[in-house]
Amino acid sequence: MVGIRDEQRAATRQQILRAGLELVRQSGFGKTTTGEIAKLVGKAHGTIFVHFATRDALVIEIVKAIGSSLTDHLARMSSDSFGLDQFLDAHLAVLREAEELHSALLQEMSRLPASARAYVMAMQSGVSARLGRALQIDIDKGLARPFDKVALANIWIALTNHYLLNRDLFAPGESVIVRHGAALKSQLLAIVEKETAHV
Amino acid sequence: MSDTHCPSCGSCGFPMESEDDFAGGNREAAYCSTCADSNGHLKPFDTVVALNADYFVRHQGIDLSAAVELARTLLQTMPAWAGNQSTLQ
Ligand SMILES: [Zn+2]
Repeated sequence: MVGIRDEQRAATRQQILRAGLELVRQSGFGKTTTGEIAKLVGKAHGTIFVHFATRDALVIEIVKAIGSSLTDHLARMSSDSFGLDQFLDAHLAVLREAEELHSALLQEMSRLPASARAYVMAMQSGVSARLGRALQIDIDKGLARPFDKVALANIWIALTNHYLLNRDLFAPGESVIVRHGAALKSQLLAIVEKETAHV
Repeated sequence: MSDTHCPSCGSCGFPMESEDDFAGGNREAAYCSTCADSNGHLKPFDTVVALNADYFVRHQGIDLSAAVELARTLLQTMPAWAGNQSTLQ
């Protein structure tokens, strides 16, 4: 039986996690302290450690939440029948929803626990798997020329990561996805575009 | 960020949407069809590490031994595998 205490406990844990995500969104992982998280949820500092053994344990859960939110949204927004054009739109929309978090994750990855990197790579593998399926659909329909799926996925991931990592340079004070997403998408599509017959 | 998630595998964290994603095609299963057998029982840790590593290799071209290390690191943070050590190289 799930008692009220368990429910409260789960609710507090969720509150802490959400506060952590909000602070990381605002100022990154490095500048987010457990003290500030406690202040934001209105609990004593010690309460954080009732729910997460260490700061690292909380950081890992924040990273997991960023990753599962992406794969989750992607699962709901895209379909197995999507071609590249639709898949790239869905992926960009999902990135747009949490671009500050993805940017912080990429920028600070080397200073986060090792499992953070494993989550990022797992998330990217999920993107790659879907992109590969979408490419195959376009190839089968004669809309794209045959191209190595992993290579195209890695080009896309490298491209989007580069813009997310340097969003302060590519789009200071605004969304880098809104400003450059459409151009990045056209660049990727151009790579697999079929050569049109010249007269 | 939304709070409503589709269920994710308790072993590897993979989101499970279609019936095929769930072990044994059973929507009540706690694990995905990669990590568990058709009865919903988790496969041995080393097997699951190898299968997850293979996913990294196939989709991103990561070096196999590096992929094994990544998969092991990832799985060890999941409740299903806390404290498990792998002997895979
Ligand atoms: Zn799994």
